[in-house]
Order: sequence, then C-alpha cells, then structure tokens
Amino acid sequence: MGLMRYPKLEHFQEPNVITTTADFIFSWARSHSVFPFTYGLACCAIEMLSSGFARFDVARYGMEVFRPTPRQCDLMIVAGTVNEKMAPVLKRLYDQMSEPKWVIAMGACATSGGPFYDGYNVVNGVDKIVPVDVYIPGCPPRPEALFQGLLELQVKIQQHKFVAETPAAVRAGDA
Amino acid sequence: MGLEIGTNPMDMDAIAARLVADFAAALTDVRVQEPDTVVARCDRAAFKDVARRLKAHPEIGYETLNFVAGVDKVKHLESVYHVYSWKTNTYLELHVEVPKGKAEIDTVCDVWPAADWHERESWDMVGIKYLGHPDLRRILLKDDFVGHPLRKDYVDLVENHPHA
Repeated sequence: MGLMRYPKLEHFQEPNVITTTADFIFSWARSHSVFPFTYGLACCAIEMLSSGFARFDVARYGMEVFRPTPRQCDLMIVAGTVNEKMAPVLKRLYDQMSEPKWVIAMGACATSGGPFYDGYNVVNGVDKIVPVDVYIPGCPPRPEALFQGLLELQVKIQQHKFVAETPAAVRAGDA
Repeated sequence: MGLEIGTNPMDMDAIAARLVADFAAALTDVRVQEPDTVVARCDRAAFKDVARRLKAHPEIGYETLNFVAGVDKVKHLESVYHVYSWKTNTYLELHVEVPKGKAEIDTVCDVWPAADWHERESWDMVGIKYLGHPDLRRILLKDDFVGHPLRKDYVDLVENHPHA
C-alpha cells in the first residue's frame, strides 16, 4: 500500500462534497500531525535538527513540532548511540508517551550499535529496549533519509484500521 | 603587578630549575617538553604535600587544575595532573605512578576543587582510588558496572550488557 491519493485543488473550484471512509480521514489526519520527541543522543541529532530548519524543513510533512517532553509526543526519533546507562531512561520516557506512539531508529547506532557495536557500554540497537517501527540506515543519515523514514512511517500509520471490518470481529475481540 | 596577560616573565629553563631546587626530594625527571609546558614525575607518597606547595608557590604558583587523567601503562597506572600558572602563563604536567596492586592515591580535591569530577572519571574508567575524595562514585558509567573499562586487561563482561 503506497501513499494515499489526495483530492486535488481543482476538485474544489465550486462548492463540492467529498465522500470518504472514516479510516481514510482519521489516519490521513493522524499521519500528517506527528509530534516528534527530541531524542538526540549523538551526531544523528545534528542531522535531525538540521532537518527541522529552513533548508530541509520537516514542516512540509506536518512534523515540525519537536517537543522536549514525552507527554506531548507520539513519535520517538532515537537519533544516536544508546548506552547501557541511557537505556532505562529511554524505556521510562517511552512508557510516558501517550498512545498511539511510534519509534524511529535513526542511524546505524540506534539500529544495531553501529561502529560501537562491541563497545563496553553500548546497547546494540534500540529495539532491544522499545519496539521500533522504522529503521533508517546511515552514519549519520542525511535529512533526506530521515524524511524517507518519516514517509515510510506515514504509510504505516495510514494502514491503521479505526473501524473494524465486521462488527462481529469487534464483539469477538471484546470477549 | 601590571603583568600583561599571556606573557611569561620567567625563562622556561628557569622554571624547571626552580622546580628542581624547591621540590628536589619529590619531583624527578623534570624537563621542558613544550614551549610552555614543564613535565615532571612525582613521588606518590609526597604528592599531596607537593600539590599544596605547587599551588602556593610564590613565583610560579600553579593555581588552576586543568584536568586529571588516568592512564594504564600496563606495568603500572598513572594519574596525570595538568596544572596551569597564571603568573607565568605556563603549564606543568605532573605524572604520578600508581601501582596496579594497590591503586590508591591521595585526592587533591581540597587543593584544587576542580579535581572532583576528574578524579571520579579516572576512578570510573581506570580504577584509581582517590583517598579522601568527598564523593567517589562512578560518573559516566552506571552504578552497578563491573570493572574499569579503560584498563588494558579489561574484558567485556556479560553483566555489563543487560540489554544484549
């Protein structure tokens, strides 16, 4: 499933009505209003904040509001090396984020430990601690790579079904 | 008085000679290594007293501690102090040998308060115990880390990777 096909501006030249599904409209809204959590741990953080400024401008995807508190965020971009001392802190902050929430492992370190995989204090991938939705390779990834990761995440968010396919499935799930 | 900032009223060889004269018993191997740096080795037992006197020295006066480094020299450990003199605008690099079997040395926190975190880092990474330090805890690694990773004989332990 690729990105959704959006209505174009020329469809709105006269008063008009759009029919759509609840799944489409809610996941469309949700995927374009992601609040990332400022979780820069190493040099990837420089690329992450560079992507927030005018040259690359993550605001194009509706994700420009980086929050420094987990309670206002739904996307944790782990940008950098996670070490054993940081691991319990990261887990705690992830637990404090409100649902629904997603995690992006940005760069080689957050994905697998990267160049420090045999270090005495390095966690070999943030997926040892929290579930990861999108992995972005690179050391560090350029802002364009981060954006591709964000677009992949949008695709994933849009796959979410708000409405059960059959009412019976809901009842079975509740029981 | 009225010294320009960044000037050195003394010759480097004169500084080295003065250190040899005043600290003959404790300092050995005193030499000028850089245009602005004197290097010396110091006896471990006399080190605390030397530190006090170096700071209070009337003409050179190493008032500022820039950093403390722990070094593993394989045969022994070393605690290296970089101190700075505002009177002469020069540095002194003080190497103190610490045996591996009994890796202990007096703290200089009460002489140069800047030593506090540096000595904690040296304890954390190399495992040199600074006797009399007010709060000798690990500073970079987690509290239950086993061993001191910058020792040459350190082997990576499973205990130190609970998330592996």
